[in-house]
Amino acid sequence: MGEGPALELVGLVKEFRGRRVVHELCLSVPRGSLYGLVGPNGAGKTTTLSMATGLLRPTAGTARVLGIDVWADPAAAKSVMGIAPDGMRLFEQLSGRELLQYVGALRRMPHDVVVERTTELLTVLDLAGDARTVVADYSAGMVKKISLAAALIHAPRLLVLDEPFEAVDPVSGQTIRTILRRYVASGGTVVMSSHVMELVEGLCDRVAVVAGGRVLAEDTVAGLTRGGSLHDRFLELVGAGEVVGDGLGWLGAGLQGGP
Amino acid sequence: MTGLVVRLRLRMWWTAMSRSSLHLTSSVLGGLAALGVVVVLGPLIGLLALRPPALTAITVPIFTGLTLMWVVLGLIAAGVDNVLDPARFAVLPVPARTLARGLLAATLTGIPALMLMGLSFFQVLAWLSAPVAVPAAALAAVLGTLTAVVASRAVTTLLARVMTTRTGRLVGAAIVSLTTLLPLSLNLAVARGQRIDALFAFDAGPVARAASWFPTGWAWALPFDVASGRWLPAAVHLLLAVALLVVLWAVWVRQLERVLTSPLTSSGGQSIGAGRLLPAVLGHSPVATVTARRIRAWYRDSRLVAIALRTAVLPVFFVVQSVVTGTPGLAGAGVVTLAVFAGLTLMNDLAFDGEAWWLHLTTGLRGWEDRLGRALASVIVFAPAVAITYVVSVALGVIEHAVAWGSVVLASFLAALALALAVGAYLPGTAPRTGGNPFAATSGGAAQGCLTALVSFVGPLLLVVPVVLGAVLTLERPVGRWVVLVASALYGLGLLALGVLVGGRRLDRRGPEMLGQLAHAQM
Repeated sequence: MGEGPALELVGLVKEFRGRRVVHELCLSVPRGSLYGLVGPNGAGKTTTLSMATGLLRPTAGTARVLGIDVWADPAAAKSVMGIAPDGMRLFEQLSGRELLQYVGALRRMPHDVVVERTTELLTVLDLAGDARTVVADYSAGMVKKISLAAALIHAPRLLVLDEPFEAVDPVSGQTIRTILRRYVASGGTVVMSSHVMELVEGLCDRVAVVAGGRVLAEDTVAGLTRGGSLHDRFLELVGAGEVVGDGLGWLGAGLQGGP
Repeated sequence: MTGLVVRLRLRMWWTAMSRSSLHLTSSVLGGLAALGVVVVLGPLIGLLALRPPALTAITVPIFTGLTLMWVVLGLIAAGVDNVLDPARFAVLPVPARTLARGLLAATLTGIPALMLMGLSFFQVLAWLSAPVAVPAAALAAVLGTLTAVVASRAVTTLLARVMTTRTGRLVGAAIVSLTTLLPLSLNLAVARGQRIDALFAFDAGPVARAASWFPTGWAWALPFDVASGRWLPAAVHLLLAVALLVVLWAVWVRQLERVLTSPLTSSGGQSIGAGRLLPAVLGHSPVATVTARRIRAWYRDSRLVAIALRTAVLPVFFVVQSVVTGTPGLAGAGVVTLAVFAGLTLMNDLAFDGEAWWLHLTTGLRGWEDRLGRALASVIVFAPAVAITYVVSVALGVIEHAVAWGSVVLASFLAALALALAVGAYLPGTAPRTGGNPFAATSGGAAQGCLTALVSFVGPLLLVVPVVLGAVLTLERPVGRWVVLVASALYGLGLLALGVLVGGRRLDRRGPEMLGQLAHAQM
């Protein structure tokens, strides 16, 4: 495989019942980068990532992972990437340990390697104490962490994470950040979506701003923010709503007068 | 408030129907089925008016049973209303009593309640045979119907609390799924050589008196008491019926108060065993891994435990009935039924995984591995049950042509599995929500059931026809029987392989689309 981008999306289109939600989206994620995908709610981030990872068939367009066409050879593409979608359930009757071992076995890894990595992942992500608890009884943050572990277990070359920090406590968040940085430093590539600007600004090398199913801007973090904050730049690009101007004036109006 | 809740229910029902054709079909079919029950059963009950009151008294046990079934079925089908989960009202400033009134009214507009009301109307007609009892019958209809609805609500909310823990769900699933088999045992009691025309000369009095002291029968006993001039029991029954309704209402309001103030149920971390046995036996290949997970699900997942119990206990009734009535074909048919049902449980296996199936999709698991793994799990779980039922029946002497029946049982089990593997990859079906109330089998499930019911019932029959022919033709030939047995085993395995390949190829080609379907498979 050459030195092309780790993830390349060309003219991706997705229509649901005739309604177009992703418009000929093009994106190129260089190898060895920590790439942030930001956008408002309903921007098409999850849809795009699903199409990039073989979970949702695009209406048109191509997605390539390390040069492999995801939709022409899904199995090959999936073998080099690890995915942690947001809000998708896991096999909840399995315990955390069983889940990781299950994923390892499905990925045809040798059993002793699976056992070793499972223990290590559970320890690092602070889940060792709940290794025998069924995933159904996990909290939202724990589910996030176990999904991340499931995405990491086969040491993929590309990691695609949808909202990896949502509901995760600060300590675990720091652990995950460290894991991701180290992973990228050793040559891996991470694509993550988020709507927490501060997090993306502090963690990612490059950022793409997506809204309405289109890429509005794409650059290095420094190039995009140009000295300002990503937060302000984002609002500028997406167009901050002016609704709050004079609206909702009644809210709090009753608080001054009396009880 | 009451009107608001009723409108909300209808609104949600309407939206659900207009959003999914599946929901629409199921609602229409459900409505037609309910109408059918009322139209067929109602006049039959009404016609009792032409008979002496001694026979009309049969309404007491019928409605006693109906009310009891209504409460139990309410749990299973959550047919009452899972649309109006009281917890959804928790953030609004609504008193429990007001909400209870609203929810009651909303429930009364549902198809099951309308059906019950229709039938109880015919109950009033039936008592025209004793005009003095008609007002009592009308009162019974009102009290009885309300008792059924409120009891169902109260029991559902009560049990819902038990159901918040996984162990609670398992136990609950076991109890309720066995209770649903009650009518079968009733059938067993009746089937002791009774002829239908004997029923018309039948004095239902003793049965009615017995049923009248059962809690769900208190209200329905009123017209019978009045008609037979037993005024003291009538007074006691009325008192008891009203008291029951009041208590149930109080329980329900109390439960609602609890739900409204603590909507978030937490089950805490429940630890499970290390689960080392299955991998040790099966190995670590992808197929074995899928098999191990599905086997674990059959005892860890309360939704599946309920199904497994019902499937496993069903044939026992056939066998027992066969012993009791001395009808030899019945036991054989019972074992075949078990074999077919056991195989068909795979039909909506994907729906039970639901969206979590993305893990199969994203790990690049091949379709045939998914299919074969599930098939093996079903074989490991159900083959012993089928085999034991068969062997016990043969040992009891209720299966006459053991080898012939054996061939048919074997072929039907494998054929049903094969069919479920192939069809399940096209129509994933629906399942109750993961970790939710295991009895919340939804109306949507009924629709998918209708769509696949044809395939489920006609398919195995067609597939087994050659084996049945072979078995019948070789009944008198000692060697031929065994040839048919071997042939049917090979035939079944061939079908199974075909099912794995066809289903697997479909999953390979349309995996993402299947994932999309599965996202809506749990209700």
